[in-house]
Amino acid sequence: MRTETVSKAEVRPRAVAVIWSGVKIWPYLFALPFILSYFTFHFYPLVYSFWLSLHDWNGIGAKTFVGLRNYVTLLTKDPLFIKSLYNTFVIMIMSVPLMILLGMVLAYLIFHLAKGRVFFQTVNFLPYITTPVAIGFIFSFMFDWQTGIVNAVLIKLGLMTEGYYWLQDPLMAQVIIALMIIWRNLGYFMAIYLAGMTAIPQDIYEAAKVDGSTGLHTFTRITLPMLKNITVFLIVTSIIGGLQLFDEPKLLYGGWSASTSGGPDNAALTVIWKFINDSFITGTRFGYGSALAYTLFVIIVLFSILSYRISAGKGEKS
Amino acid sequence: MRIVKWLFIGAITVISLFPFYVMIMMSTYYSENIFKGLPLIPSDFLLENLRTVFKTDFLRVYANSLTVSIGSVVLGVLTSTLIGYAVAKFQFKLRNTLNYFIIITMMVPAQVGLIGYIIEMRHMGFGNTLMPVILTWSAWSFGAFFMVQFIRDTVPGEILECARIDGASEPRIFFNIALPLIKPGIATLSTLVFLWSWNNYLLPLVTINNAKSFTLPVFISTLGIVHRTDYGARMAALAMATLPVLIVFLIGSRTFIKGITAGAVKG
Repeated sequence: MRTETVSKAEVRPRAVAVIWSGVKIWPYLFALPFILSYFTFHFYPLVYSFWLSLHDWNGIGAKTFVGLRNYVTLLTKDPLFIKSLYNTFVIMIMSVPLMILLGMVLAYLIFHLAKGRVFFQTVNFLPYITTPVAIGFIFSFMFDWQTGIVNAVLIKLGLMTEGYYWLQDPLMAQVIIALMIIWRNLGYFMAIYLAGMTAIPQDIYEAAKVDGSTGLHTFTRITLPMLKNITVFLIVTSIIGGLQLFDEPKLLYGGWSASTSGGPDNAALTVIWKFINDSFITGTRFGYGSALAYTLFVIIVLFSILSYRISAGKGEKS
Repeated sequence: MRIVKWLFIGAITVISLFPFYVMIMMSTYYSENIFKGLPLIPSDFLLENLRTVFKTDFLRVYANSLTVSIGSVVLGVLTSTLIGYAVAKFQFKLRNTLNYFIIITMMVPAQVGLIGYIIEMRHMGFGNTLMPVILTWSAWSFGAFFMVQFIRDTVPGEILECARIDGASEPRIFFNIALPLIKPGIATLSTLVFLWSWNNYLLPLVTINNAKSFTLPVFISTLGIVHRTDYGARMAALAMATLPVLIVFLIGSRTFIKGITAGAVKG
C-alpha cells in the first residue's frame, strides 16, 4: 500500500496532492445530507420524546415534570398495557413458528421444482406487497359472521348449522390476526429461504449423495444447518417486527374512529395500538405515550438480544 | 410423495391468491348481491362501482399517494446512495464510525420517536401536509446499509482512482462513473421505498388529520365509515389501490426479491 502511494507521488506529485485535498472534504459532503436528516428528523425526535416521557403533557397546556412516574404508572397501574403486551406475545407465538416451518418447507419444495420456480416464487410473494388495508378488509369480510365466506363454506359443507361470530371471540380474534400475519409474510420467509438455499454450494449435496445420504437425511444434516443463520435472522427480525404489530389488528377492527376498543375484550389490542390510542385517538397523553414507546423500545432490545442468544446458541454445541 | 408435494404447493398458492381473486370479483358486484352467495363469478356492476368511487375524493387521494411515494423514493434513494458511496469508496477518519452509525440506527424502531417527530413537524408548519410522511425517508438507514454493501461490491476502486488522476472532479466522478454502475441497486431501493411508502398506514394515520392530504390507506379505511354498506365500491377502490404496487412489483420482481433478501443471506 505505502510503496504504491510513494511511487505514484514520485511520478505525479501534483495529482496526488489534488487527490488528498479532495479526499478530505468529499466523503463528508456526500455523507452530510443523510447525517443532517438523521439528526433533524430521527435523532432530535428521539431525544425530545424521551424528555417528554418524563413529563405530564396533553399537547397543548403546560408541561409538568413528573420524573419516572409515567414509567411506574405504566408498569404497575395500567393493566391494559400488560394485557396488550401479552396479546402481542400470544399473536407472535401463534405466527412465528408456523411462518418459519411453512416458509422453509415451501422454499424447499419450490427450490427442487424442475419448472416454474420463478412463477411460484412471484405468486407466493404477492401477499407481502399488498396494502395492509386490503388485507384487513378482506379478512374481516371473510370472517364476518353473517356474510363471511368462511361461515358460508362451513355451513355448506355441513360442518356447522349456523354462522359463528369469529371476530367477537377473543381467542379467535388473535388466531385470525396470526393468520393474517402468516398469510402476508409467508412469501417473504419463503423468498429468504430460497435465497439461502441458492447460496448453498451444490458440491456439498453431490458429496452427500456419493456418501449415500438421501432425502430427509440430507435435509436435516445439510440444508437445515446451512440455513441456521437465516433462521436466526428471521426469528430475530420477526420478533422485533412482531412487537411493533399494529396494521393488521387495527385494520381488522375498522378504520380511524369505527372501533377504538381493541377488539373483543381487548384481545386484539397490541402495544403499538395502545400507544396510538393513548397518544392520538382516545387521548393526547404525549408524556405517557412517549414513556410507553420507550418501554417498548427497551423490551424490543432485550428480546432481540435474548432471541439471538437462544436461536444462535443452539447450533454452537453441535 | 410427488402428489403430496404438489398438493402443498398448490394449496399455498391458491391461498395466496384467493383473497386477491375475491377482492376483484367483489368489485364487480352490486353491494347487496355480494352476500347472496359466494362471489366467485364476475358480475356486471364494475362500472357502477368505479363511478361511485370516483364521485369521492379518490383521484386527489390517489395523487397524494403518488406524490408521497415518488417524493420518498427520490429523497430516500438520494441520501442513501450518497452516504453509501462515501462509506464504501473513500478512506477517511470517520468511515468506521459512520458504518457503525448506520447499523445502529437501523435497529431503532421508528415509533420510539414518533410523538417528538409529530410535534417537531407541527412546529415546522408541516402539520397537516404530506411532508411528515415524505421527510421520514430522508435518513433511511436500511437504504444506506444496502447501498454501502452494493457500492462496495459493484464499483471498482481503480476506475475512480484513474478518473481522479485524470483530474476529474469528485461530483463528476460520482455522476458519470459511479452512478451508472450503481443503477441496479438504485432500481431495487426505489421499488422498496415505493412499496413501503405506498402501503404505509401508521404514519399518515397519526400525522394527517385533514381529509385533503389523506393517502390511500387512510382514505380507504375511513371510506368504510361513510359508505358503510357499499362493499362493492370499497373493493373496487382497494383493487385500484393495489394495482400500482402490483405493476411495480411485477416489473421488478426479480431484483426486488433479490434486494429484500440481500441483507439476510449475507449477514
